[in-house]
Parts: sequence; structure tokens; C-alpha cells
Amino acid sequence: MMQAEVTPAAIALVGLLAALFLHDFVTLQRNRRLLLVQLVVFAGGAWLIVYPEVARRLAHFVGIGRGVDFVLYPLVIWLVRESLLSRRRRHEEQERVTELVRAMATSGAYELAGAVAEPATDHSSKRAPAHSSAVAASCTE
Amino acid sequence: MRIAVLMPAFNEEGRLARTLDDLAGAIPSTDHVCVFLVDDGSAPAIDEKALRAAAPGLRIVVARHAVNLGQGAALETARRLALEPRWQPGEGPFEAFVTMDSDGQHRGSDVLALAGAIAAGADVALGDRFAGGSAVPRSRRALLAFARAFERATTGLRLSDVHNGLRAFGPRAIASMRIRQNRMAHATELSRSISRASAERAKDDQLTVVEVPVSVRYSDESLAKGQSASGAITIVVDLFHGFLFSDGRGPR
Repeated sequence: MMQAEVTPAAIALVGLLAALFLHDFVTLQRNRRLLLVQLVVFAGGAWLIVYPEVARRLAHFVGIGRGVDFVLYPLVIWLVRESLLSRRRRHEEQERVTELVRAMATSGAYELAGAVAEPATDHSSKRAPAHSSAVAASCTE
Repeated sequence: MRIAVLMPAFNEEGRLARTLDDLAGAIPSTDHVCVFLVDDGSAPAIDEKALRAAAPGLRIVVARHAVNLGQGAALETARRLALEPRWQPGEGPFEAFVTMDSDGQHRGSDVLALAGAIAAGADVALGDRFAGGSAVPRSRRALLAFARAFERATTGLRLSDVHNGLRAFGPRAIASMRIRQNRMAHATELSRSISRASAERAKDDQLTVVEVPVSVRYSDESLAKGQSASGAITIVVDLFHGFLFSDGRGPR
């Protein structure tokens, strides 16, 4: 009773899905589980493309005009949320990197040799190694 | 007086040595000055020999960011270093903390003037380049006027000069000046911290803020490296991200 609608658009879209899956199948071979999830999701998408009547009936059932909108609305909401979350994640990641780089910088801080603030101290003229805590201690006087 | 100079540097090449030379020349022998120089991932790295040659008498503590993080991050690293016990002078802790650019636009004598304001009892002393008779280029004036209006609206601090890298803090003030904005938005963040601290409810916790005339030297090099109008947009975006995502918890 449900008719497959094989329009040029449907062929192009399903072709795109197939091509993407093929690409990932070749490049992501080792991650079988992810491929399986992708296959299921893509197959679902292809089914909705070829049998738009499915989405159309579901849409009418919940009071949305077009079948496409039934798929699009949740998708847009999900994408907006995803973008905010990834921005936050990037921000937090950056804060972590900052603290890491800072910790490295402060633990490797050293006083430039040859300062003449206290002439009595024996600062060697060699460049202090970046990780020498002994040098650090000598600078406190 | 014991002064810690917080100095971020990124690809300053010869300008850095000239800055330190000028600073060393301005310091009287009675003052103990230590420069906390943070190399923000310069490539090539800072040439220490040139620094040593330029300022043989200056005490310099060097730290290096493995990757470039931005001026705000470098200042924060310098601030934390200056508060570490191991770098305190033998005679006692630092009495003034002065932030200064490393490209030669600030004068060593102005560092002392700001530190002097701290010694005179202020908690925060901010450089005012308009009162100091600097030849501020027209393009800069327009940008700074915009920045000033933005600062007033967002921080409530009425300053004649904003985003001037030359500032001094007393020990009480520096403790609350933590910088989370890694890039150029840290100037606005600092204004906000200062504004908040100067309006503390308890009188004893209030910070006193003064503005001190300083002169800023503009060179073609420093102008090319400085902030442009598109930088202003980046700053606003960074501030918005900070507002959205920094909930005050975060790492430390």
C-alpha cells in the first residue's frame, strides 16, 4: 500500500548516503561498532527518503504539516544544542590546556644568571637548565 | 621599594631588550626590582644573551609557555610567579606589582611613578596615556573612545584610559586580580575586577584606585602588532564566551 517514490532527489540522496557509508567503511574499518550504528541510522534515513509517506503519516498524526518537517524540527533542536555543548567543551578544554602550559612554565621558571642584585651570591654564568629547582632555590637568597 | 614587574612577551625580538634596557636605566639602586618575564611561546624563543647584555643589573625571572596562549594568559602566569614564595626578595615580599608591555611603548620611569602611587597608599594605579601627553594616533583615539564607552557600560569603572597595559597593584589588590581571559579581553576583565573590588560593601575591603599620567610611545612596529578594530570584535566574543561558560568553578 505504501508506494516507493523514486524521484531524482531520492536517488541522489540515497546515493550520497551509500557513498558516505562506503567511504567510512573503507577508512574506519577497525571501528566495527561505530560502522554498525552508522549503517542502522543511514538505512533508516534511506527508508524515510524512499518512502516519504511514512514520515508524512507520522507528521499528520502529531499535527505537523509536512513529513520533512517531522524529521527536521527535532534535528535542528539537536544541532543547536550540540553546537552550544561543543563550544562549552572547547572552552573547558582550553582552560585545561592553559593550566597545563602554565604549570609547565612556572615549574620550569628560572632566574636569568648574572643578576647583580646581590653581588655576594655565586650565580654561575651558564644558562640555568629549565627544570633545575636548585637554581630556583638559590634565587630566594 | 620592592617591585615586581609582570611582563608578557611574544615575538618582540629587539624591542624586548630595549624595553628592559630602558627599565634598568630608570631604577634607582635603592629599589629592588624583579621582572617576571613570560615568553608566550615566541618563535624563535627569547634571546637570553641579548637580554642579559641589555640589562645586566636587572633581576629577571623567565618562564616560557610551550605554546602561544595569549597576553592575558601570560600576564596571569607572571602574576602567579610573582606571588610564589621562592621568588620573593630576601628583605620581604613585593610591595607593588606593575604590569608592563614588552614592546617598548611604556617607559621605565612610568613604572616607578605607578609604584610610587602604590607606596603612597593606593591599591590600584592605572596609567593614563591621555594625561601624559602621548602622541596617540587618530585611529587609536577612535578605537579607545569606543573601548572607554564599552568599559563604562559593562564594568561601571569611569576611567579616562582603558586597555592601557601599564598598571600597578598593591599586595592586597593583586591577590584578587585573577585573569581567566587568555587573549586581549583580559583588559576588560581586569577593569571589571577592579570595579568590583573598589565598590566592595565593607569599607575595609574597598580598593582605592588612582590614575597616573604616563606616556605611551607609538612605533610603527607596535602599532602593527597592536589591536585593530577587528580585534575589538574578538574581544567582545571572548567576553561573551567567558560570560557563558566560566561559571567561577573551572580549574582553580
